[in-house]
Amino acid sequence: MRPTPAAWLLLVPGGLLLGGLMVAPLGLLALESLREFVGGRVGGQADRPLTLANYAELLNPAYALYFWETFRIGALVSLLALIFAFPIAYVAARTPRRGLRKGILGLLIAMLFLSVVARLYAILMAYGPTGPLKGIAQLFGTSASSAAFAEVQVMVGLLHFVLPIVALTLIGTVQNINPRLEEAAMALGAPRWRAVTGVVLPLAVPGLLSAFLIAFAMCISNFVVPLILGRGVVLFVSNLMYIRFSEIANFPSGAAIGIIMLVLSFGIVFGLTAVIRRLWPAAGGVR
Amino acid sequence: MKRLGDVVASVLFVLLFGTAVLFLVIPLAVSVVMSFDAREYIGPFPPPSLSLHWYEALWENTAYLDGLWVSLQIGLLATGVSVVAGGMAAVFLDRFRFPGRDALETLFLSPKFVPTVVVGFSILALCATLGVRDGWWRLLFGHIIITLPFTLRATLAALVGIRRSLVEAAMILGASEFRAYLDVVMPLARTGILSGALFAFVLSFDEVAVSLFLSDPFTTTLPVALVAEMRANLNLTIAAVSALFVGLTAVAILVLDRLVGLDRVIGYGIYRS
Repeated sequence: MRPTPAAWLLLVPGGLLLGGLMVAPLGLLALESLREFVGGRVGGQADRPLTLANYAELLNPAYALYFWETFRIGALVSLLALIFAFPIAYVAARTPRRGLRKGILGLLIAMLFLSVVARLYAILMAYGPTGPLKGIAQLFGTSASSAAFAEVQVMVGLLHFVLPIVALTLIGTVQNINPRLEEAAMALGAPRWRAVTGVVLPLAVPGLLSAFLIAFAMCISNFVVPLILGRGVVLFVSNLMYIRFSEIANFPSGAAIGIIMLVLSFGIVFGLTAVIRRLWPAAGGVR
Repeated sequence: MKRLGDVVASVLFVLLFGTAVLFLVIPLAVSVVMSFDAREYIGPFPPPSLSLHWYEALWENTAYLDGLWVSLQIGLLATGVSVVAGGMAAVFLDRFRFPGRDALETLFLSPKFVPTVVVGFSILALCATLGVRDGWWRLLFGHIIITLPFTLRATLAALVGIRRSLVEAAMILGASEFRAYLDVVMPLARTGILSGALFAFVLSFDEVAVSLFLSDPFTTTLPVALVAEMRANLNLTIAAVSALFVGLTAVAILVLDRLVGLDRVIGYGIYRS
């Protein structure tokens, strides 16, 4: 049914909030990113002509490196998240034991609810120089307080952050694959591991891909994990933006970084999921 | 041969599963144990003796208590606004079909995919333009926009499962459509809307990046106060706060399971019901 004229009123509060608190602010940010920055003065110059200099500056290899580091760590963590999340999701989706399923769901939802700051502090305690897991640093041939280990800690923090989200997403994926298919494969003589790798995994590819993309988008826009665990050694694009804003008051450059982050995030989430949807029409999209 | 393959595969599988669960749980367990450390400094794990003195220090830290108060105010208000505004938009999106409806839904959900630092920075730019200098209002604005897509999505999901014929039945019996929604649809959608509100509140209560941009020296949220403390001096009051968070979360999960059922939050999918 088409909406009646009066029904459009239902959209007014949400529309005002969306326009006032998202569209307008992002417009202001885009405008600020085109302003000229004069060193020593706070913010962009409103009376000077608009310029693309703030974007051009980011092509400098010194800045491009931040983007590369962010993407590299983000991709690695998202891949690890898929590998560790799949068994959890498979057990939760297929186990006949209700207690086990409930326990897994409880743990994963608790992780979503639990403060990120508390989780990061816990990682700092566990993997730091006084923690019981500091030995892991030796596996990487370094010590728990070294700069090289900061990157490992950032990866641990990001994985801790995205793993529950990926696992919950994959539970939905596995649940929507007909269990009869595995049973058929096993009835025809395939061992269980062949049924899982040969039947379930290929059918789960669209779900795995969109889970990967969600994790990747969350990792590369993350701010808190490198802030706390990176110890100034590992900086993500978001941290670079915050430094531009808070420490040298170069708002136009910070705004330009912000606009690029926004375009990347929307590009990954909407663009690539549209591709997935085209390749596997039954898969649906980002929820 | 088949046997061996299955044994190797299941050992590998259990190993991956166990590692993942331990990976999630061990740091939290360490931090909870450390919060009871009797030493005055951060020493190696495990603590040689236990005491509650970090929890006592917590009560004397006014930055935490002030932050908690601001977090609760902002969290509850932002959630309330988002539940109403998001809920109304969800009713509209669920009830009507028209060209561009899916695009409109995507637009309403899109704040979810704006990186949080960008939300913080852009709301700050807005407030600077409008002359809003009060941290409290800036925080409220930022938290409304991050919670809005979550309450809208939860309400939409709850409404989709409710049959249209129930509204029609109420209307045949003389109710106006508004009344039918209020008396028939809302009670049925209540658990879905409430769990959406719970997620929205938790999201707001936990938010760091947005709040870091929008706080002022007099108005800070609890997570921002914790991050500031963490960067300034490492002491175990943060472990004590974390332990309290762990306890609260456990209670919240039990309540959620009792009220809604964890299974229903996730759902069984299309092959089991």
